[in-house]
Amino acid sequence: CKSRFEKIRLSNDVAKKYQEAIKLYNKKDYSKALILFEDLSQKYRGRTEAEDLNYYYAYTLFRLKDYTTARYQFKYFADTYPTSKNAEECRYMGAYCYYLDSPEYTLDQENTYKAIDALQLFINLYPKSERVAQASQYITDLRAKLELKAYTNARLYYDLGGYDISNYKSSVISLKNAEIDFPDIKYAEEMDLLIIKSQYAYAKNSFPYRQEDRYTEAIGYANEFIENHPESKYLEEAKTLKTECENGIASAKELMTLEANQIAKYKAMVEKDNSKDTSANIKNKTPNP
Amino acid sequence: LKVQGTDLDYFQPKEYIIGGTTLTGASFIDKEVIITLSKLIKGETILLPSEATSTAIKTLWSQGLFDDIELNISKLTDDTVYFDIKVVERPRLSSFELNGLSKSQKTDITEKLNSKSGKTIINENTYNSTTAVIDKYLAEKGYFFTKIDYKTKPDPNMENGVVLQVFVERGRKVKVQKINFTGNKEFKAAQLRKYLKKTKQRAFYKIFGPGKYSQEKFKEDKEKLIAKMQDKGYRDAVILRDSVYRNSDKTVGIDIDIYEGPKYYVGNITWAGNAKYATKDLTKVLGIEKGDIFSEEKLGVKLHGNGAESEDVSSIYLNDGYLTFNVEPVQTKIYNDTVDLEIRIYEGPQYTNNRITVKGNTITNDRVVLRQVRTRPGDKFSKEQLIRTVRDIGQLGNFDESKTVPTPKPNPADGTVDIEYAVEEKPSDQVELSGGFGGGRVIGTIGLTFNNFSLRNILNPKAYKPLPKGDGQKLSIRGQTNAKYYQSYSFSFSEPWLGGKKPVSFGISAFTSLSSNGASAGSSNLQKIRLNGVTVSLGRMLKWPDNYFQLTHSINAQQYILNNYPGYLFTTGTSYNFNLTQEISRDSRNSPIFPTEGSFFKFTIQATPPYSLLNKVNYETASDKKRYTFTEYHKWKFEGQWFQRLAGKLVVKAQAQFGFLGSYNQAVGQSAFERFKLGGDGMQGFDFLQGSELITMRGYANNVVIPSSATTPGQINIAQQSGSPIYTKYVMELRYPVIASQQATAFIVGFAEGGNTWNKFSDYNPFNVRRSAGIGARIFLPIFGMLGIDYGIPFDKIPGVQDFGRQRFMFSIAQQLGGFN
Repeated sequence: CKSRFEKIRLSNDVAKKYQEAIKLYNKKDYSKALILFEDLSQKYRGRTEAEDLNYYYAYTLFRLKDYTTARYQFKYFADTYPTSKNAEECRYMGAYCYYLDSPEYTLDQENTYKAIDALQLFINLYPKSERVAQASQYITDLRAKLELKAYTNARLYYDLGGYDISNYKSSVISLKNAEIDFPDIKYAEEMDLLIIKSQYAYAKNSFPYRQEDRYTEAIGYANEFIENHPESKYLEEAKTLKTECENGIASAKELMTLEANQIAKYKAMVEKDNSKDTSANIKNKTPNP
Repeated sequence: LKVQGTDLDYFQPKEYIIGGTTLTGASFIDKEVIITLSKLIKGETILLPSEATSTAIKTLWSQGLFDDIELNISKLTDDTVYFDIKVVERPRLSSFELNGLSKSQKTDITEKLNSKSGKTIINENTYNSTTAVIDKYLAEKGYFFTKIDYKTKPDPNMENGVVLQVFVERGRKVKVQKINFTGNKEFKAAQLRKYLKKTKQRAFYKIFGPGKYSQEKFKEDKEKLIAKMQDKGYRDAVILRDSVYRNSDKTVGIDIDIYEGPKYYVGNITWAGNAKYATKDLTKVLGIEKGDIFSEEKLGVKLHGNGAESEDVSSIYLNDGYLTFNVEPVQTKIYNDTVDLEIRIYEGPQYTNNRITVKGNTITNDRVVLRQVRTRPGDKFSKEQLIRTVRDIGQLGNFDESKTVPTPKPNPADGTVDIEYAVEEKPSDQVELSGGFGGGRVIGTIGLTFNNFSLRNILNPKAYKPLPKGDGQKLSIRGQTNAKYYQSYSFSFSEPWLGGKKPVSFGISAFTSLSSNGASAGSSNLQKIRLNGVTVSLGRMLKWPDNYFQLTHSINAQQYILNNYPGYLFTTGTSYNFNLTQEISRDSRNSPIFPTEGSFFKFTIQATPPYSLLNKVNYETASDKKRYTFTEYHKWKFEGQWFQRLAGKLVVKAQAQFGFLGSYNQAVGQSAFERFKLGGDGMQGFDFLQGSELITMRGYANNVVIPSSATTPGQINIAQQSGSPIYTKYVMELRYPVIASQQATAFIVGFAEGGNTWNKFSDYNPFNVRRSAGIGARIFLPIFGMLGIDYGIPFDKIPGVQDFGRQRFMFSIAQQLGGFN
């Protein structure tokens, strides 16, 4: 014995099916409604009722939280019935589905970019809509997510610096890239400070003969910071880092001089030792023609 | 657009108001909707002539409802236009009904055709395209002389819908009777036939293999044939003519007329365009000298490389930042049988890595992938590092290895390159759920392994999908019980990057297990053993001697409680085992599931404090209780595995293992625990206790490979129950993959093993082993892990044990990768 729903599902009476589907939708039995809507959407192609049907179909998917299929249906509706009274709503809902599908900032952001595009398209198409304010807010949210991702991933190299010094070099590059990609990123102060810190750590852990150049670069970043963020709460830290860099250069130079002296002293000693048979020595050192 | 009675000036489009649109020729379709779709709506303005009219026809056409569409202007006044859309409506194709094919063929063809049903009409084109799809499909399967007829019947479920009935007469499969060659002098016909890899003559002994003739494969084969001949120095070789003719209903013959031309040799080689590396060095890498047989294939390999770690000209440049490097061998002069070569090099700029991004990680967090990446911003671009990164990402076990694709995007303007690593998540969690029958008792097992766990999100309800995931941590829990006879529970957790800043792995695991004869507590018959243990470990990736090395330290604490339990050196009492383990390993295998290259080495030392040297107990006379309270031993283990591709997909695996359990003090004797049990499937079976180490050996039953010095029943019992202190095992395995997809990896193996155990180091002889050989199959399913079945033949009887220790069939499950020791 088949249930009432099964009977309707298997029947060929499309009109009855349609009514039942709407009834189920209003009763919030979305999964059953979906079965009927899916079936009907093929059969109603090219008929007047198709417009309403597609509208309900998209919303059923939305209620079932299948945002991937729902956004496709909303977009299909907006593309197919651009003059419909529901077109604006569906265009918006399609973009909203993308927004809901945008994942955590630590994961792939493909849907975030698509959501921004879809929301922007909505704003361009319906600039006077009352939904524009909300859409703009969503775009702001999504951009913030992308900024946070850029900042976090660039910072990762700084965090990994303790394990491999050259990660500090990567940190400077990736932080700068993030600032290029997001010119008004809200983490600019933290990032600028991290650039100094990374460069400082990179210089400090380098061989003495490389330190001067690298410290000088760090001092450059510190000067930029002091100029660009005169009110920053990190100002003192930047200044301290600058001083440490200067001290670093001084001690690197000292070390180099000391080393040079040692080498000179050693050479002198060797020469003194060999001064007796210098001629033999020179002969040995000249390469064979 | 047909204009009746009016000339539209194409150079002066004019705006009109649409006065009305009519639709003629439609009987089933809602006219209003069609007009709305055409966008030629009354009251709208339209530019004529313009794209609007062709767009209207296109839109209607894309509905797939009409056989023909005409757009006419029925009336045109000064500012108003009236349209008429004339359509030819045809029945709509609702579904296909295939006759005369096997079930699997029907399924395949229906899949190929399905995109059309419900969306198109039936006309001549439908028949033609359907015939083409079926013909192509059957030709691939070896049916060449097929006949296809069509009938239609109305679909009761769809207004104006029609079911297309397809009647197929397949005929018989076509095989190749004979392949004839003409024009060949240096090459024998048999040799040439061999070069046609997928097109083979019929022969009584060919039971397997491609007997069928396939047009597409024959085309590929012809190209391969020429490539092979050119590879042998015949650079002028060409197929002059080839024909396939029908022999009978089920066979065809093939005639191939070839021109061989002379055999060519390499003449002078000159280099041009190389600034970074000297000609002398490049010549050495190239390894082709004047007088060698001229082979374009070899030249290609030496210049462009082949595989991951090859020594070739391109790799030298590509590993040093020259991303846009290009090399082209030009044949400058050909005289008699000699070819002079000029190798032209374009070095281009040296690129530096800039932006490194990950794409497609829908579950795993960015940093888990990014910290594996070796091509870091600011480093010089290197192909080698790129390939190593792909391997290391694969090693995580969360992504489909074959779909991890690095894409370098060079910016020639500033000499930087952005690299995007595209990955695809795959299911990495494993479930073990079984109810089995072992040792005459029913036993239930449940095991769960999550390979991409996120501990930090454990309190975040939003992260449960269905579990918090994405941090690359591993959590596994396992329980096995049959109530009072046997219980075992274990738990383990590991984090590969402790603190997220250094590649220091942290692991913690605990277990408890119990085995008894089922007698009630307090009964004098009760025989029972309980084991409890905790392990904490720290591991570190090393940068020296190379970055494949890993060092692991761990601390273990274990407790063994025996109650009248036989098979150990003592029967009642409690023993503790505190030990430190140091392990150094090197893993350069190129894949965790089916490695084709690389090796794996592991050296482990485990030691307890030497209690007997510190306390003042006289072990010669001490009671069992005193003697065994603190287990003391030192244990040394070594394992090596090598993988090498032999030919095609065939891979050889060689493995050697060695283990030694020593004592500090003669008087104390060897430890009762932590010994080695050799033989069998190595699975955590019913009688598994973690007081010993299980080593697999196919062909022999579980734990039966005991020292030959164990002859008395007591010695045999101890050797089987608690194991032996020394073992050695060697394995040679040939492996061939049969399935390699995201859903499953399967391969067949042929193996030969040799292994043995000893009681004393003075008895040890690495060549005196028990041997076995056999065949088997393995399948890796993402949810179940690795499953295996083996058939092994033992060559050496083991006296004193049941059935001489033979066990030919063996079934195995390994939850973790790298199982099947």
